[in-house]
Amino acid sequence: MLQVVLLFAWMLVIAFLAFIACTFEDIESDIGSQSNPNSQVQLAAQVGQVNRFFNKAISGEPLSNAMYCVVAGTVVWMLLVRLEPLVPGATWKAAVVAIPVGVGVAALIHMIFSTTAHCGRVSAQKRFEQPIYLDVLYGHLLPIATHGFMTTFCITSIAYIQSNIGTLSGNPQLNHPFALPLLGFIWGITVGSIGSSTGDVHYGTEREFQDRPFGEGKRVVYHGKITRYADCGIRTQKDIAGFCAKFGGPCTGMTFGLIILFENWRTLVGMLLGGFLPDLPVFTASGDAAAIGGIVMGLLIVAAFVVGNLVFVKWVRKKCGPFVGV
Amino acid sequence: MDPVMILIIGYVVIGGLLASLGAHLLPVGGAPAAMGTATGIATGTVQIMLGAVLTGLFTAATVATFTNNILLVALSGAIGATIMLDVVMFMANILYAFGCGVLPISGRVDVDPITKEPQAEYKTPQTDGHGVPNVVFVSGTIGGFVGGFGGALMYFALLNYAHFTAGTAAVASFSIFVANAILAAYNIRGTIEGFHDPKFKRLPKSMIASFAISLLAGIVVVLAALGLGVI
Repeated sequence: MLQVVLLFAWMLVIAFLAFIACTFEDIESDIGSQSNPNSQVQLAAQVGQVNRFFNKAISGEPLSNAMYCVVAGTVVWMLLVRLEPLVPGATWKAAVVAIPVGVGVAALIHMIFSTTAHCGRVSAQKRFEQPIYLDVLYGHLLPIATHGFMTTFCITSIAYIQSNIGTLSGNPQLNHPFALPLLGFIWGITVGSIGSSTGDVHYGTEREFQDRPFGEGKRVVYHGKITRYADCGIRTQKDIAGFCAKFGGPCTGMTFGLIILFENWRTLVGMLLGGFLPDLPVFTASGDAAAIGGIVMGLLIVAAFVVGNLVFVKWVRKKCGPFVGV
Repeated sequence: MDPVMILIIGYVVIGGLLASLGAHLLPVGGAPAAMGTATGIATGTVQIMLGAVLTGLFTAATVATFTNNILLVALSGAIGATIMLDVVMFMANILYAFGCGVLPISGRVDVDPITKEPQAEYKTPQTDGHGVPNVVFVSGTIGGFVGGFGGALMYFALLNYAHFTAGTAAVASFSIFVANAILAAYNIRGTIEGFHDPKFKRLPKSMIASFAISLLAGIVVVLAALGLGVI
């Protein structure tokens, strides 16, 4: 029974780490203006809006996050191979050293990519008279690296826990079949794709166009005309991070946290309902029953979300009503 | 030709075709959706498809350790991808509504084909819709299911018929999936709302391209397995 309780406990730890990871991932992409709304920062100089925004769309968020997480995961994995034999019986000591060191290496690479991406992108806008502000470059590197560090740290920790979840809860047979760097890759891609699809909305629709009417989609005619002035002085991405950390970041974090929670929870409940835990009779009827249990739980969750969206859309349409502007 | 080789190629082709179909069903809004200028999820086709399918693949890999039923493994992956997309679309709607004051409205149809709610008078002029309305949500749910099913099917075939290790099977099936998703993204060209979008009619061309690339990938998988001496 203790094993089952430990499995559920580790699942909750993973979900909590996922929440932190995606929150910081979204804020990091806002500070660096990496994702989809960066099209407006890129366009701004071309329509005469010279700005002091950081501009580092190296690639899509999923791929760049996957890269940092795989770099961290690979370094951690190599260190673990070397360090674990030194501390027999207490391998967690090796992890405590290896994970921060590996993630630190990924953070350094993150800063290098941010520098080259920003300088390359902004220097290409010379013909639109957009200068490279060196204080913007130096001032944003550290916040980008620290937020990226938090994301990569949490994802690497999730990968470490998942690849050792059986050992940690008492039965090594339950360890995930994927190696630590591959799990880092999977969750790096997923955290990036969620940060890109959910979190961008708050930065792009709301924060970049705050001198436009609130409560409408941004018309094509506004494109590129981003808000360049902050509450006090000229706006940089540091003002945006504080704003998005109040709503967009936590919402994005909750998205990833919920996904990890539902995914692991339904699998574990299925295993429990199918009689698979704690004896683990592999490739038997109870293994099939465990899979069916997980699928049924998943279908219930999907149905709940479809109905929830129906109710939510109906409510918000009734509350706001038709478009009344011009 | 050994029947198991035909089986591997067959499953890879089916998985590739499902990947292409799933990508067309997803509501992809790209950069315009991040500004509330277009309907759908505010990122590219390949990016959201990869996130969803890898989430499904993670669960499918777990399930494949305790059952050897291909249907159950594929369904587990499908549900995983569907849950990922549903949570993303629902939370995006919450952000649009409470963070930006924007309603979920379709830009491609005047009346929602499922709920029959009128759309046109709620839409901001000079935009192509915004948020994730109900018909788009349902289309995305089906797209996630189909795509996740295809990804997990390929994983199982590579794991149990081509006898790859779990890690290699994941990377190979994911790579075949990426190729198909990118082909679909070329076909979509920007944004798509789902099965009710006029762009959905372009699907057959993408399916032909997907069939060709998946067949080639299947043959390469078989050659690799033969070279490794595992089949």
